[in-house]
Order: sequence, then structure tokens, then C-alpha cells
Amino acid sequence: MIPTAFDYQKASTVDEAIAALTDGDVKILAGGHSLLPALKLRLNQPSKLVNIAGIEELKGIKEEDGEIVIGAATTYHDIVKNDIIKSKLSFFSDSASRIGDVQVRNHGTIGGSLAHADPSADWTALVLAADAAIEVKGKNGKRRIKATEFFTGLFSTALEEGEIITAVRIPSPAEGTKTAYQKFPQPASRFAMVGCAVLRKPDGVTNIAFTGVSDNAFRDAAAEQAVAGKPLDDATIEAAANAAAEGVSILSDHYAAADYRKHLAKVYLKKVLHAVA
Amino acid sequence: MQTTFTGKPVNRVDGPVKVTGRAQYAAEFSTGQTLHGVIISSTVARGRITGIDESAAMQVKGVVTIFSHKNIPTLAWLNFSYWDLAAPPGKHFRYFQTDEIYFSQQPVAIVIAETFEIARHAAALVHITYETLPAETDVYASLHKARKPKGSRIGIKKPKSRGNFSKAFAASAVTVKAEYRHGAEHHNPMETMASTVIYQDGGKLVIYDKTQGVFNSQQYIRGIFNLKFKNIKVVSPYVGGAFGVALRPQYQLFAAVLAALQLKRSVKISLTRQQMFSLGHRPAIVQQLALGASADGLLQAISHTAIQETSRFEDYVQAVVNWSGMLYNCAHVQMDYKLVPLDINSPADMRAPGAASGVFALECAMDELAYQLSIDPLQLRLINYAEKDGVSGKAYSSKALKACYLQGADKFGWQQRNPLPRSVKKGNKLVGMGMATGIWDALSIPVRAKAVLNAQGKLTVTSATADIGTGTYTIMSQIAAETLGLPLDDVTFQLGDTDFPLAFVQGGSYTAASVGAAVQKVCLEIKQDVFKLAKRIKNSPFKQCSLNDVVFSDGYIQLAGNRSTSLSLASVMQQSKTDRLKNTATALPNALQQMRYALNTHSAVFVEVEVDEDFGTIKVTRVVSAVAAGRILNPKTARSQVMGGVVWGISMALQEESVTDHHYGRYINHSFAEYHIPVNADISNIEIIFVEEQDDIVNPLGVKGVGEIGVVGVAAAVVNAIYHATGKRIRQLPVTLDKLL
Amino acid sequence: MSQHTIGNSNYNSQQLYDADETIPVGFTVNGTHHTLQLTAATTLLDALREYMHLTGTKKGCDHGQCGACTVLLNGKRVNACLILAVTKDGADITTIEGIATADMLHPLQAAFIEHDAFQCGYCTPGQICSALGMLQEGRANTAEEIRELMSGNLCRCGAYTNIVDAILQYKNGGGRD
Repeated sequence: MIPTAFDYQKASTVDEAIAALTDGDVKILAGGHSLLPALKLRLNQPSKLVNIAGIEELKGIKEEDGEIVIGAATTYHDIVKNDIIKSKLSFFSDSASRIGDVQVRNHGTIGGSLAHADPSADWTALVLAADAAIEVKGKNGKRRIKATEFFTGLFSTALEEGEIITAVRIPSPAEGTKTAYQKFPQPASRFAMVGCAVLRKPDGVTNIAFTGVSDNAFRDAAAEQAVAGKPLDDATIEAAANAAAEGVSILSDHYAAADYRKHLAKVYLKKVLHAVA
Repeated sequence: MQTTFTGKPVNRVDGPVKVTGRAQYAAEFSTGQTLHGVIISSTVARGRITGIDESAAMQVKGVVTIFSHKNIPTLAWLNFSYWDLAAPPGKHFRYFQTDEIYFSQQPVAIVIAETFEIARHAAALVHITYETLPAETDVYASLHKARKPKGSRIGIKKPKSRGNFSKAFAASAVTVKAEYRHGAEHHNPMETMASTVIYQDGGKLVIYDKTQGVFNSQQYIRGIFNLKFKNIKVVSPYVGGAFGVALRPQYQLFAAVLAALQLKRSVKISLTRQQMFSLGHRPAIVQQLALGASADGLLQAISHTAIQETSRFEDYVQAVVNWSGMLYNCAHVQMDYKLVPLDINSPADMRAPGAASGVFALECAMDELAYQLSIDPLQLRLINYAEKDGVSGKAYSSKALKACYLQGADKFGWQQRNPLPRSVKKGNKLVGMGMATGIWDALSIPVRAKAVLNAQGKLTVTSATADIGTGTYTIMSQIAAETLGLPLDDVTFQLGDTDFPLAFVQGGSYTAASVGAAVQKVCLEIKQDVFKLAKRIKNSPFKQCSLNDVVFSDGYIQLAGNRSTSLSLASVMQQSKTDRLKNTATALPNALQQMRYALNTHSAVFVEVEVDEDFGTIKVTRVVSAVAAGRILNPKTARSQVMGGVVWGISMALQEESVTDHHYGRYINHSFAEYHIPVNADISNIEIIFVEEQDDIVNPLGVKGVGEIGVVGVAAAVVNAIYHATGKRIRQLPVTLDKLL
Repeated sequence: MSQHTIGNSNYNSQQLYDADETIPVGFTVNGTHHTLQLTAATTLLDALREYMHLTGTKKGCDHGQCGACTVLLNGKRVNACLILAVTKDGADITTIEGIATADMLHPLQAAFIEHDAFQCGYCTPGQICSALGMLQEGRANTAEEIRELMSGNLCRCGAYTNIVDAILQYKNGGGRD
């Protein structure tokens, strides 16, 4: 229910933060909105917290080398307000404006949410659909992890010990790319009971990702196949919905049994495909 | 009646302290070095503690001690010592005195430390082992174990059947038989339970407790710890919501007092939100309804059986089925109420206890009957309207339910309703309208109040009642100002202190009537006293007058025929060299008069819903609640009370349920992220109509109380509207998405 | 700006807490700069309530799920229970105690009273801070938007429609009806 005792360090550079990650018990703190609840529930009992919220190089949004780069410590609020995101990745700003409540959006960070890898978080589906890479840094320098390889299970990621997320890198979408994200919010917390993100390129290649449906967010290859390159008419959309969320182990809880979640996944896929049609 | 304050929409007098954060709640009083306690809860639902290892926790600097059954002193022996004013019959629980576990999250240890952070850190280091036994927590799986309640509880009547149900039901032209269910619900006021115990020299305790009755906390502590009343002062000026959960003294009070007495230090303990799910709750209930009617809709037979969960140690009883014997005119009514003891904590009164559950089932069954008969649901209620209480055979002291039906229907636009289910669509959403009836008691209890008029003509009235958000401060100030003809600003009403005159717990919607009667009575005494003084002063213009010849207005005594002949109360006090006038009065309900009548509030609730069948989402788009509750002392605060009740009803219908994992016997959704209560976006258009009743019988003020009536019937009206929208009859609450698909 | 140092109060945890040392942190609350010695585990909410005795900010769930602890942090509304106090060195914080002046309520507070936008009053400080934060965000143009944007603040008494009415009245001129 409560944070146990721990040390605290405020890092002013990324390297300082990495140096502080001496063992697996040390946790990174940015906005704290994923970590603090976990601490209070004793899901995490770190020996030390390293605060990276003040590291300037981890904040902000820019475009460079054909990529949109979102610093890991950028808050949801800043993403909602950003002009690059609004014009090129509108599903990021739309969905960020619907995460939790305003109090959460003002303080939660994208890197924190991705590292936490909650099975119902919104960001996971978004970065998957956007073909993003998660840029991480450790003692041996930087590396990129494709979003499709980043989420490995319930609350688990491909981050290795001693690494921190520094940025999310998204290929700048070509002119004419359409995006949409829709979710069925869990009525109390507004986490996604089912969330579906879609990014459709001008050539008809379509990325489809789900969150809330399974242990971790995933790209739905069968659904993508069903619409790739085809005009998004009712029959194609119906076929994609039929193919969606098959062959994955579906979460079940008292809010939504597995078959209801699956039903919602198909309904929401139709919704987002109609939105980008 | 011409009034200055009563009946007027006066703003809450405690508004300024509440909007500025200055109102202090139970955990917000500290003096000097207050210790902090954190309570450790059992992780199993049934079994025995086999070991508690405190060694790691005790090594943390700043930990003072850890209490558990292993080391607490011998306390009171008799069961009666653990009784409280709101206790159901049974063997009342003795916290921290046994190694046996009776329910999940049972408090098992208390960590006391110099700061909150140390206490919660150390609590995580206490290692407790259990021998786990299989727990029964599923009322639905244990229905065959239902039995009659043992013992009785003040204010809860046993259901009384009449006529011959079986015969009348068999002979009925049209019948409905159905089973309705709802799960457990927890009160979850925004403020969690908290007690701050200030230990004073000589062992006197000043206890800031979250409670609906300071005397209940005081007598509970006194009995268990064998203290003197004069050494326990309980104070509770502001209560951050309660809804019944603070009727009984809760275990944080016990724990904080235990620690304070043992350590001779001041101690503060708050429960966590998760621990709020370890307290009493609205119990899960299964109800079977059978209605029989003639082809023209006259009820011939009603049967209502309820099977409800309770704990292993107390028989928590509430009036669930009784309402089915009252609400409609019917000669043959059979009612039965049974309990199933489970490995859970005792249930507790929660806003409109019994009625919220029982009337839900009855009013859904009435709706089903209406469709069977092809009679409009409202018309069916009017056909069977009861002029008398069918259980007692008594006439109502007043009953404006018919006017509620008609005015509510009119405001809502019920007449425009297409009677066919699934007949109305708005975009891709189905629209439905449903209605139901509500009923609650109009009780009064004895209360004492004291009034002091000072030399400046300002009045202070005190009574040990509570204001859990109900508006007690405000309406008592209004009654006092009205009775003595004072400006509202010259009146101060104080409550929530065992130094004040006796008032029992705030609950059951009887506070306005009961405390109001005492305040009015003591102010009438002061009126006489001050008038006597006025007559006696030199050159008094009132020497030849009686009280009937004068008017008390705006701080003055005025000659009725010539209002310019006047004396201010302040000048009466000063000229008669009176420092202060004080009086105390006890208001007793007029039992003889009340015994001859049935005393109840009523309501008619109309609800519109929109259902999106793709997603199974339901939105309540409109509610009209017409309430007959005698005289309304303050339409502004009374409206808020009823509106809160309506929000609760919507929540009961669509959102709230404490879900148990029966394998572990514990509630799994014990947080606000999982236990769904309405947020702002869930609530839109609610209209409240008060149909005033002139009632000289119910009590001198003609007031019936509005705390519970707002919730009764709302869940049924929502479910009935969902049926009208979709043609699907859901008989289990809450009506969640998957049940509709 | 006045200065206030909390160093030798009984609640200074430095001497007491063995989970290593406390950390100095300074921030401005309602225009007054405070310096505190706190453990890393102390939330901003507990710092306000237990160490600074500013109990107007309420604890309802301690998990960021109810909004009772909403304060304005550098002008933005946040849940104080999900923020470690030591991470807010140098921040500017406004709590409910800093909304009214000594002798006059803020017009939003007055509107809350006028519309009976609370009953028990426990969620009220959070509702008011949240509403002020929302209005600074420059949205909340309709009742429906307000309902959505105020959904981070639970009110168990069910005063929601009155809360919306109070905010609308303040927004549309602030005067009384």
C-alpha cells in the first residue's frame, strides 16, 4: 500500500542517471504516475529512486533525420499541445488527451508509461502502430529497440538492467498518412479495456495494434493482412474484424470476460478503420 | 406559514470553512508529538494466525511498538461491552484479541511509530503467517444454508404476512415470478475512517473521530477499556461523508485508543482506501418476487423472499421485504427474510438500508407485471395505490405519493412515452423510459439541545448530533433563527462533541425532525425566558403584554400591533444585567399520537436511458425525482440530498459492486480504479421536485427527512428504462456492459 | 515573499528515520517559501498535511484515483499523492488555503457555496483547485466539456451537477445569480 524506504538521487544528465543504476533495485522516476502506484502497492520495492524529470535532454519534441523524436520525460500534456504531433501524428495527441484525467496528463510521461508496460496503457498501442523505435541508453551506449520487440509480456519490456529510455523515435509519416485511435475505457480508471490504434500509409499498408486485449500490446498481423493495399470498404473492414484478435490469449477480468473483450476488439477495429477510410 | 428562514434556500452556513480548506476532519487535528499508526490487515479470509515476526520492523528507528493479539492487555469480558448503538444482534467482534481470522482484511496488527512514513515502512516488514482454512463467501452458492435471523434490532420490524398468498396467486389471471440479485457495495465516503486520540495528563482522552454519533464512540470505548465517561471526550465537527459506515465505531478508533492508553501518547490512525473494503457493507441479496393480478391490473397476491449474507458472528438485519407489504393495496402478501452466515465482516447500514435493495426488486417486478398486463407502468401503480399501510392497517400521517406520480410524470413527459419496448431510437442508440416508486420511514428519536443567549443578543445552540454533509449545521441554524426571530448571522449551531447535550447517531433520515424539534423547543424556552426579562425591565413597553402580543423579529421584540414599539434582545439582556440566558430541552416524539399513524416518505422516479448496443454502454440521460417528505426546511440543501441519492441509485444500477474472488474470499476491486462510482461525466440532467405535505402529526416541525428517500427506487427505474429501450430484462445489478450484449 | 523554514519542528523526520538520510527540499506554497527536511518516500500530499499542517488538501485514496489531493503545481493541476515531495525542489505550489484572500472568498469559492456544490466538503478543495486549473487550460466551454474535464475529481455525495453549475457561473462572469 505504501512506499517503503529508499534512497533518492536527482540526476541532471542521462549519463549521471545511468551511472546511478548500480543494480536492479534502483528505479527511474520521471512523472511517477506509473511508479508511485506500484510502490504503494509494493509491486516495486526499490532501494533507490533516480529522478530524471529534470534532465533537459529528455524533454521535448523535435523532428530530425526523417524522424519525430519525443523525449522520454515529455509529459502527456506537452504531447497534446505540440504542433508537430498535432499535424503529423494526430492520433498521439487525440489519445493523449483522453488518458486518465487531466491531473494525470499534467504529470505522467511517455517514457514512464512505456517502461511500466501496463497491459491496458494507451501509449503501447500507439507506438506499435506508429512503427516507433524505443531509444534506450546504458553503460555501453545507445541502442534502438523496435516497438514490436519492446513489449515482452505483462509489465515487462526488453529494457535491460542499467538501461533507461531516452526517447521514442517515430518515422515521419509520409504525406497522406492517416491515423486513428479508439478505446473502450475501463469505466473507473479510464485505462483501455480495449484500445485499437491504426496507421494507414498512402500505399494502403496498414499498421494495426491493440492494447488491453492481451498480456501486452501487440500488432495484429492477420488484421493488417486483411486490409493491406485494399480499399477500406465495408467488406474489407468486416474481413479485418473477423481476423482480428484471433490466436492470442485474451485477458479476462470482472469488468470484461474474454469473449466480451474480443467482441470489443473487433468493434473497435471497425471504428478505427472507418475513421481512416 | 410565513417564515423568514425555514423553508428558504439558505446557503450552507459551513460553506466558507469547507471551500477554504479550514474545516478540520478527524485526521487533521494534531498537538505536539502525535504518534502515527498503520494497521496491518489479514491476507486470508478464514483461518488462524500461526506467527507474527516483528523483529525486522522493530529494528526500524522510530518504531515505538507493534500491537497484536500476542501482546494486547486483557480488555472487557462481556459481549455487551462491545455493543454499540448501531450493532446488530450477535457476538460483537473483538479486534486484535484473537488469532482466529473471520474475514479477509481483518485487522491483525497495529504498527505505531514516530512518523507516518516510518509506520508504513515498518508495517511492510512485519511478517505474518497463517493457517488457511477454506472460506465461504458466495451467498449464491450457499442459499441452501439460509435460516431465520436470530435476535432482533431496534427499529427493524419482522415482516408480517397477511391473507393467503398461495391461493390468491393460483387464482390470479396474470402472474410474474422472478429472481433479482445484487452484490455487495461499500460506502466509500471520500474521507477514509480516521481517529486522532490526544492523550492528556491524567489519562484523559480527547478523541477526534470520524463518526455519525460521538456518544456512540464514547460509550463503546468506555465499555471496552473500562474508562470513566468524564475521561473520554469525543469530537467530530466535520465528517467527510459516511452514508452509514461511521454509524458503528470502527477499528481504527479501537486501535488508536488502545495505543494511546498503553503508550500514554497521542496517536493518529487513518485507514487506507483498500481497508475501507474491510468494513461493513450493503450485503449481497437474492430476492424472489411473485406477483399475481386480475386482468384489469388489481394486485391479488404478492410474495417477496430475500436471502441475504451476514457474518459468522452477527446477524445483520435490515428491512428488505417489509416494503412489499406497504406500497400497494393487496390482501394477500407473503414475506420472508433469511440470512446466510459467511466468512465476511458483518454488513452495515448503507444509505436507505433494506429499502434500496427490497424496493428495487419489488419495483422491477411491478414493471414486468405492467408489460404482462399491457398496462402503463405508472397506471398500474395508480390502480393499486394504497391509502393505508397494509401491514399495520394504519392511515398515513400524510402521503402525497399520488401527487408525486402525477407531477413527476408531467415534468418528465411520461405521457409521450411509446409503450412498446425497442420502439425509440436516437441515432444508433436505443432510448428507453422507466419509472419506479420509493418509500422510506419518517422517524423521530429523543434528542436534547441547549441554547445560550449572550448579552449581545447572539445565540449559540448545541447538540451532540452530526453533519455528515446533510446540512445539519444549516437547518438547525435556520430553525433557531426562525424561532427566536434572530438574523441568521447571530446564530451559531455547534455539534459533534460529547460535551454537548445528548443526541444519538445521525442516520435513518431522522436528524432534521428529531434534532430540529429539540432546537425549536429549547429556542421557545429561551423566547419565554427573554420575554420575562423584557417585561421586568424599567419602563418596559411590554409590562402588560403576554407572549402572544409580541413578535420576535430581526433581533427585536416588537409589539404585534405596533412594530415600532420594540426592544432588541441585546438591550433586554443588558438592561436586565443578564450576562447570559441558558436553557436545555429534550424533545420526545409524541409516541401516543405517532402510534396511530404510519409515518413515511414517498417518491416517484422517472428515468430515461440511452443504450448503445454495439458496445453495451448505458447512459442515464434524464432523471426526474418527485419527493413527498413533509415540510422542506431548506430546498437548497434538501435538493442536494435527494440529488446525491439519485446519483447513488444510478451507481447501484449501473456501476457499483464489490466483486469477490471466492477462491481467496476477498474483494478484488478494492480501489477507486476498480470499484466504479460515478464521475462527473456520468451524471447529467437530474430534476428534483418536492411535493410538500402539511403534516402536524409526524412531529412539531412537520419534517420527514430526505437523506435516504432519494436513492430508493432509482435502480429499479433505471433497469425498467433499460428494458423499455432494449427489450432485455436484466435482473442482476449492476447492469454492466456484457449483460446487455 | 515571506520565508518559512520547517527545520526543528517535532515532525522533522531527520533524527527519526533510519532509512538513510533526509533530503532538503524547498518550494513555495501559497506565496511563502518553505524549506523542509524530508525522506525520499514522503509524498507532496503528506508533506503538506503532516509536515506543514496544510490539511486543506485531502487524502481520499493515496493512489491518484480520486482527485481529492489536487493542487496547482506551477499552475497546472496535479495529484499531490503521486508526487514525491523531494522531486519538487523550487516548485511553486498553490493549495486551497491560497485561493481566498484573508477577508474575501475567491468568486469560484463563492459560486460553490451559492450552488451548494458540496455536501460533506471533503472533495471540495480538490474540486476547486482542479476547476481553477481547468479554467487556466483554456477549455471548458460547455457543461459537457466541464463534466468531462472535471472527471478526475470524485464526489461521493453526488454534487456533480451543482459543481458544473458553480463553475459555469464563475466562468460566465463570476457574479452571483
